[in-house]
Amino acid sequence: MEKIKDALDFRDFSKPEKVGFAIFTLFLLAFPWLGAGSFVKAVAIQFLLFSLFGMGWNTIGGYGGQVELGKAQYVGIGAYTVALMMVWWKIPFWVSMPIGILIALGYSFIIGYPLFRLKGHYFAIATICTSLVLQDIFINWKLVGAAKGIELPIHEHPDFLYMQFKSDTFYFYFIMVLFYIAIFYMNWFRKSKLGYQLRMIKEDEEAAESLGIDARWCKIKAYSIASAFVAVGGGFLAVYNLYIDPYSVMDLDLSIKIALMAMLGGAGSMWGPIIGSAFLVPLDRFLGSWLGAHKGLIGVDFMIYSALIMIVSAYQPRGIWGIIEQFRKKGT
Amino acid sequence: MAFLEVTDLVKDFGGVVANNHISFQIDQGEIIGLIGPNGAGKTTLFNCIVGYHKPDSGKVIFKGKEITGFKPFMTNREGIGRTFQIMKVTAGMTVLENVMVGAFCRADDRYLAKVEAAAILGFMGLDSLKTYHLNELPIASQKKIGLARAIATQPELLMLDEVASGLNPKETEEMVDLLKKIHQEKKITLFLIEHVMEVVMPISQRVIVLDSGEKIAEGLPKEIVKNERVIKAYLGEKYAKSI
Repeated sequence: MEKIKDALDFRDFSKPEKVGFAIFTLFLLAFPWLGAGSFVKAVAIQFLLFSLFGMGWNTIGGYGGQVELGKAQYVGIGAYTVALMMVWWKIPFWVSMPIGILIALGYSFIIGYPLFRLKGHYFAIATICTSLVLQDIFINWKLVGAAKGIELPIHEHPDFLYMQFKSDTFYFYFIMVLFYIAIFYMNWFRKSKLGYQLRMIKEDEEAAESLGIDARWCKIKAYSIASAFVAVGGGFLAVYNLYIDPYSVMDLDLSIKIALMAMLGGAGSMWGPIIGSAFLVPLDRFLGSWLGAHKGLIGVDFMIYSALIMIVSAYQPRGIWGIIEQFRKKGT
Repeated sequence: MAFLEVTDLVKDFGGVVANNHISFQIDQGEIIGLIGPNGAGKTTLFNCIVGYHKPDSGKVIFKGKEITGFKPFMTNREGIGRTFQIMKVTAGMTVLENVMVGAFCRADDRYLAKVEAAAILGFMGLDSLKTYHLNELPIASQKKIGLARAIATQPELLMLDEVASGLNPKETEEMVDLLKKIHQEKKITLFLIEHVMEVVMPISQRVIVLDSGEKIAEGLPKEIVKNERVIKAYLGEKYAKSI
């Protein structure tokens, strides 16, 4: 009960934050009825999905301060579990997604145990490697469709059990529900014992250990939480795209995007990953389609994208949220 | 049975013997000073007891339980707290949050941890600093917060690595009073490395002296200052004469 109360309690946020959050929620609820085209809706869904990924990454990467660049493997685990169970045994989404989470949790413990013997850059490199290895396995594994990937059977009528809908609106509301569950979870997490301990580890790992914190075990726990989050997003991706392959759900590109968005928005803050995703997903999409398709300037979007990241990280390492807080502090 | 018992502890850093067969005992309720020139192996000895280093040989027994080679968080759970000579000055957490992390060691509940942390800050006279970050505070306050953080884990033995370094005489005096208060009211056994004689001599009941990794003397502060070897290795003639 206490935990639920903590999760729903936003009182310690400032007034502008609360008002902003309320307006944002109303906007999201109304969004599908504002007459946006299918492209804009798809971007909005991507935004919510990447916010979900980012919030997951934020537990270990933001609060725990570990540069983790291997989240794509858990997107893959979530997506493949849902897709394969549907194709092989016709198991509904609502059963396969929790199983996907469990597999991601189990796998993350197995990977996390040796991984967290490493620190700093070595840890970052190792996370990339584990993700790449899993991707390579899936690329060559015939049973799971190898490089061709898998197509999910398409149902003729909308089917709630298998989460198949004709209209993007349903997907939008579904990912929105997941997004809010994530927000409530994070709101609890930042106040939890583990949250405090992780922040201490980020500040000063040696001191944290002297305060009775088993740093490695805390990091493994946070890593697994992050993995579970991301696996949920992966499961969603499978039913949303109805087609997955190792390149789309397990790519290094995806891992880096997840971490970058959270860092750009502000790692270790409640709203950081959401802000980062709100900036980068539309930028990525609109720039890509506008410059790439219309002006023939393929690749320019990436340059703008990277320049933006460099500017923000040089100006304020704590990301966009750090800049906002800086101005707020000056104001008072 | 001794409270903390170190027997024949050896720590060798590839040729440099930082601790060479060191043995001593501490009883519950004592205040013990550990002195010695730079590089004598004092911090290494602390690290071996607390678990940052694994001793090459020898035994550490705390309350009758062997804790040799335990990790730092494990020794903390057994009841040994420590502070650091140099605290990392960080900006990510407030003073209250810092102490709360310590309190979380014994309390799972956030409200409990908060109450506990606030009580300790009150006890230490740091109430007014609650909402500051470490990087916004002077060194004396930082040291006290390091102390408060360690006390929040409810240790029975507190190992202090140069709590008075970098403090001015007035702050040093305050720190001595605070240490006395902690010892009396919290019933915590203190074991302190200290260079500042104004801290060690008045409060220590016994002093252990290290030099080049060896224990060269142990005894009452009065006796230590007259000990030939200690004078030669550490105190210098001047200080001995002034006493």
